[in-house]
Amino acid sequence: MKRAAWVVGGVAAALAGIAGWIASTAPDGLERVAETLGFASRGTAPAARSPFADYPAGTGLVGVALLYGFGVLFGRTLKRKK
Amino acid sequence: MHIPDGFLTPPVWATLDAAAIPAVGYFVRRTQARFDESRAPLLGVMGAFVFAAQMINFPVGVGTSGHLVGGALLAVTLGPWAATVVMTAILVVQALVFQDGGVTALGANVLNMAVAGVWLGYLPVKLAGGPRRGAVFAGAWLSVFVAALLATVQLSLSRVASDGPLFASMLGIHAVTGLAEGAITVAAVEAIERLSPRFVFRGEA
Repeated sequence: MKRAAWVVGGVAAALAGIAGWIASTAPDGLERVAETLGFASRGTAPAARSPFADYPAGTGLVGVALLYGFGVLFGRTLKRKK
Repeated sequence: MHIPDGFLTPPVWATLDAAAIPAVGYFVRRTQARFDESRAPLLGVMGAFVFAAQMINFPVGVGTSGHLVGGALLAVTLGPWAATVVMTAILVVQALVFQDGGVTALGANVLNMAVAGVWLGYLPVKLAGGPRRGAVFAGAWLSVFVAALLATVQLSLSRVASDGPLFASMLGIHAVTGLAEGAITVAAVEAIERLSPRFVFRGEA
């Protein structure tokens, strides 16, 4: 299971690393519908812009690290069973 | 289908935020009490994997893209209780760090994708008695379609557009992205199961 965890984690890091180059930049389903039906302009910008807004190339790795960290910390709060 | 800030009216988002908090609290406590500790390493790597996979937008028809949501994938591997917790963490990181999905709309997005998306994704697998290919595909399709349906109801309550075109276009697009979700989820589950059968949820002890 340890090896499998390394593989899945490695694939996650690789995907996040290359996403900026390979992912389609076309609007997703909801964005597309909002544009077509004319309610996209209702979207409001956040008060402060995060440096990671819209996933600049390579920053997906930050998200991967945060989610991995969350999982490790949450795993420590599991109740011990007998 | 992450709803940004501004699309939902305050009564709609505030109600959904208020409902999401106790719901997630329940799933956190339930997971802490029952999740198999020996499978704890999955929590981090599956969360990281689904976060990364969500970044890969692929074209769906002309001028539109879709990406994996991963509710069924998390449910089949972590079990539905832990899957709800991990998907919520993904949505929180996306909203707060990457400004993908609104902060006020977080409750709506959590209920749509982390609660409904995970549990509807798990339902066919539960009924089939295990992660059979057809059940995983059906679960993945259903998770996307139902999450989109709920988002559409919330947008309709916020009166963003007239209902006919809103429901037709939202459900039409997501019925198609659901097929991609199904294909990717089936492939991912098979690859992960081959890597380690213990990565697949087999019910609680």
